[in-house]
Amino acid sequence: MHPEEINRIHRGYLRNERKRTIYVILTQLIIFVVFLLLWEWLARIGVINVLLFSYPSKVWALFWQQLADGSILPHIGMTVIETIIGFILGTLLGTLIAIVIWWSPFLSRVLDPYLVVANSMPKVALGPLLIVGLGPGLLSIIAMACAISVIITTITIYTSFKEVNENYIKVVRTLGGNKWQIFMLVILPATIPSIVSTLKVNVGLSWVGVIVGEFLVSKQGLGYLIIYGFQVFNFTLVMVSVAIIAVVATLMYQGVAILERKLTNQFK
Amino acid sequence: MTQLSSSPAKIELCSVTHLYVTSTRAFMAIKGIDLRVEEGEFICLVGPSGCGKTTILSLIAGLERPTAGKVLIENQEVVGTSPRVGYMLQQDYLFNWRSIEENIFLGLDIQGIRNQETEEYALHLLEEMELADFRKSYPHQLSGGMRQRVALVRTLSCQPEILLLDEPFSALDYQTKLKLEDLIVATLRRHKKTAILVTHDLSEAIAMGDRLFILARNPGRINREIIIPERIREPLPFHARNQEGFTDLFNQVWKEMEGLTDASRGD
Ligand SMILES: Nc1ncnc2c1ncn2[C@@H]1O[C@H](COP(=O)(O)OP(=O)(O)OP(=O)(O)O)[C@@H](O)[C@H]1O
Ligand SMILES: [Mg+2]
Repeated sequence: MHPEEINRIHRGYLRNERKRTIYVILTQLIIFVVFLLLWEWLARIGVINVLLFSYPSKVWALFWQQLADGSILPHIGMTVIETIIGFILGTLLGTLIAIVIWWSPFLSRVLDPYLVVANSMPKVALGPLLIVGLGPGLLSIIAMACAISVIITTITIYTSFKEVNENYIKVVRTLGGNKWQIFMLVILPATIPSIVSTLKVNVGLSWVGVIVGEFLVSKQGLGYLIIYGFQVFNFTLVMVSVAIIAVVATLMYQGVAILERKLTNQFK
Repeated sequence: MTQLSSSPAKIELCSVTHLYVTSTRAFMAIKGIDLRVEEGEFICLVGPSGCGKTTILSLIAGLERPTAGKVLIENQEVVGTSPRVGYMLQQDYLFNWRSIEENIFLGLDIQGIRNQETEEYALHLLEEMELADFRKSYPHQLSGGMRQRVALVRTLSCQPEILLLDEPFSALDYQTKLKLEDLIVATLRRHKKTAILVTHDLSEAIAMGDRLFILARNPGRINREIIIPERIREPLPFHARNQEGFTDLFNQVWKEMEGLTDASRGD
């Protein structure tokens, strides 16, 4: 077989691959457009209730209007900031607790049943308690976001700490390493991939916490807009908020996914 | 206690018994082991799988505390790991997230002795193992034998006084293995280091060691001690294999081992 023939086969393969990718993207676009058009059309001919489900052009118009007069930006900003803070705090705190219980096997056994209960508990049920304790404001919302992700982070990371092969620890011990060195040289680097993958889960969890928190107490934010729209029967506003949440949450998730690829590159 | 010589032995095991205790059982891995190793000696442990060879090394390395008896290094009881003892585990356990270079500097980092001089020494060892080209590579890019050599460099680069080697050559091709045997024996002799080597290869044990211990299992114990004659001990392992009497000694050890496996099959 000649080199140019091999080359030709490879080029043909690439061309086919490209074609297939284009088809996939086209189909995805078509599904989206058809969905919007169908929604619009059904709303206009009165098959679905416009008052409850609104329709795309109205949602889009409201979005532009709110964007133009600048009234929506503070809401987006507030929710995003709350989510990011809740996400970072939840992850850090969860990791910290995991480190502490890894350090002390006694403490880990003592805390075990509490962790199980805390993990099974639907954290949003704590909402009212948080509000009473921390006041009806920013603090409670962030606490809610944090509470939702902290326990699962602790459990996931602690489990991956324990799964590190005992013999790597032996290597460090025979070279004279202490517990701190075992942690820094083996446990932490070996578990970076699983720590980063909990980040991805935590982004989603923090959104849940923040939106629920805003439902309960806030005067600003996308969750507040949803509840407000619901109360004044402005479902177009609800749809606008939901759409923005979908877009921003996806962006944030993708950001963490990129971070994950960067951090775990050297492990594979 | 010290009947044989007045100076303290480098390593001494006094009727050491070790049990592995888990929630399901307490298993006696070794029983009543007495062992004396002088400074600069090269000791080989051979015996069937599961007879407690790795256990003995772990006890000397301070990874485990003996259930009964004492482990002494220069008359001091071993209570934990120490930089004086280098232990190469049965598998390489290189750190995937560190380059080869960073792997062999691990001990230097841990002991806080990383400087230009020690780094150069480690890299020099890497060169002797014919791996200098791979210093920037990562472990997964290396073959099993190469990884084993890197693990050996990692252990040697801290310059421990006592070297414990758990089947260091098991993943090597024959040629590399013979070369490494010579290299290690020469290096250890030059620096007057004490070493204990675990191996399944009887000819390797005879060629490298000054003394040989044949262990039996259930429970692990020393079955026989064989002192390698001067003539075979003197030359480096490669030439030792060609010395007169090597084959006889090999056959003797082989018979001894056969007896063990027969005996354990009997019960
Ligand atoms: N951590 C442990 N927990 C319980 N039992 C163990 C443990 N480590 C070893 N053993 C048992 O102790 C015995 C001796 O084990 P050891 O690893 O010392 O054998 P070995 O001579 O090194 O064998 P091999 O030649 O296969 O490496 C074995 O029967 C094993 O089942
Ligand atoms: Mg073993």
